[in-house]
Amino acid sequence: MKKWLQLGLGILTAVGGFFDMGAMATSAQAGANFRFQLLWAVAVATLMVVFLVEMSGRFAAVSNKALPDAIREHFGFTFWVVPFLVLSLSTFLVLATEIGGICFALHLVTGLPTPLMALPVAVLTWLFLWRSTFSTIENSTSLLGLITLAFVVAAFRHHPPAHEVLQGFVPSLPGEDPLKYWAIAVSIVGAVLSPYLFYFYSSGAVEDHWDESYVGVNRGIAAIGMGFGSVISLAGIVVAAMALAPRGIQVDDYHQAALMLTDAFPFWGFLLFAVSMGIACLGAALEVALAMAYSLAQTFGWNWGENLDPREDARFSTVYTVVLLLAALPILFGVDPLKLTILAMASEAAVLPFVALPFVLLMNDRKLLKEHANGWISNTVAGIVLLVALVLTAVSIPLALLGGGG
Amino acid sequence: MKKLDLARDVLDKLVVDKGGTKMGRVDGLVLDLQGGGPPRVEVIEMGFVVLARRVHPRVERWVERLRRWSVRKTARQRVPWAKVKEVTPYHVQVDLEALKTPAFDWERWLRDHFVAKVPGED
Repeated sequence: MKKWLQLGLGILTAVGGFFDMGAMATSAQAGANFRFQLLWAVAVATLMVVFLVEMSGRFAAVSNKALPDAIREHFGFTFWVVPFLVLSLSTFLVLATEIGGICFALHLVTGLPTPLMALPVAVLTWLFLWRSTFSTIENSTSLLGLITLAFVVAAFRHHPPAHEVLQGFVPSLPGEDPLKYWAIAVSIVGAVLSPYLFYFYSSGAVEDHWDESYVGVNRGIAAIGMGFGSVISLAGIVVAAMALAPRGIQVDDYHQAALMLTDAFPFWGFLLFAVSMGIACLGAALEVALAMAYSLAQTFGWNWGENLDPREDARFSTVYTVVLLLAALPILFGVDPLKLTILAMASEAAVLPFVALPFVLLMNDRKLLKEHANGWISNTVAGIVLLVALVLTAVSIPLALLGGGG
Repeated sequence: MKKLDLARDVLDKLVVDKGGTKMGRVDGLVLDLQGGGPPRVEVIEMGFVVLARRVHPRVERWVERLRRWSVRKTARQRVPWAKVKEVTPYHVQVDLEALKTPAFDWERWLRDHFVAKVPGED
């Protein structure tokens, strides 16, 4: 029973991976432009991410190794160096985006300009990481993350037409603007299948001392945690479809997304949106900053762990300090948060195969995982993910340039 | 006879000291070909320069140049194979104290010059 307390790790991973700045933008755009027609993309992405997160948790529980650690060890530095660098760059962009999200949420509440918030936000996020243990972050973020359920409540308050919502789960071709339709579909899948998610979750499992006895619980945690994130994303689309689409708002600015909840909650809607966005992005920023420090420390064999005092892993703590400060710079210099988000999501989709391929190979290593190696179901899903990843790599950047950008 | 596959079981594996502290990875392996007999593992090497050499000689030169700003005393830390206590599926354990080796130069420097200076960390 105590093992189920680890659900916090699942929710935290989902808050960061699912309902962060990227998902906020894509959900709003999907609903505003195509109403319920893109719900299927979230469903497909959810199915894939549940399997991948389950695999990375199982891997960590059985082998006691997190992913970057194992990839370097098994495939060697010369294999790992390029994906590692590309991935670090892409993860850095995501971190800059999440900081932008927190700044924007504060801007909504206070009215002060977004760039002004960049440095204070980076410093406060850093302070939280510096002072907390892993379980504090896990528990506080997953608890606070529940506020995003406001989107689910809002979705029901709008009384969306049930048959149209259900139809949205069946993929269909768009009536108009197919380029934009596919660009949003790709960014939905890309925003959910974030490579750092698996690094973070597996490192978190090592931080929480999982062993083989967690293999079963891990399945539930992956499904419930990611399911939570998925429901919020779906609700975000439904709300945008009901609140933004009828007014012809297309969301080429986060200010427009901020109106999503005002119909369902006339008085509190604006504040609820700002708080949800702020918390989701804070959770994501913590997760992404840690994921970067994990992957660097594991690649080079440094001492690492959020449960250690910074004095015991000075290099690990320095890494998240430096990346948080650097990631504040784009927002500080006035880069548009939405443009940054679209760039970050496209780059994430582009690096996915580099991460997915070694991951799938490791999951089939019977020497390492014994009877817990992938079975045919996991391998089928993994194979589909690899195919999707390859397609995403080919199309994500051109589509983001042609069809994205709001 | 017990066998060890150097590329599969040793190279890139985590190195821990005698107390179990993580001190780096096996970035390189050097064999001794002298003496007429079969090659013998002489040392394991650790350090960014060693890694850079594996990528490309030019990258190695770049990293060498960057070392001007490094606080690390030796670019290549060489641990004689005789110091290797055991090779497990998880790590290579060596009979050293991480804190006293060049592998921890940066760790020590950052602890003293950054972590210790953060308010409240004393």
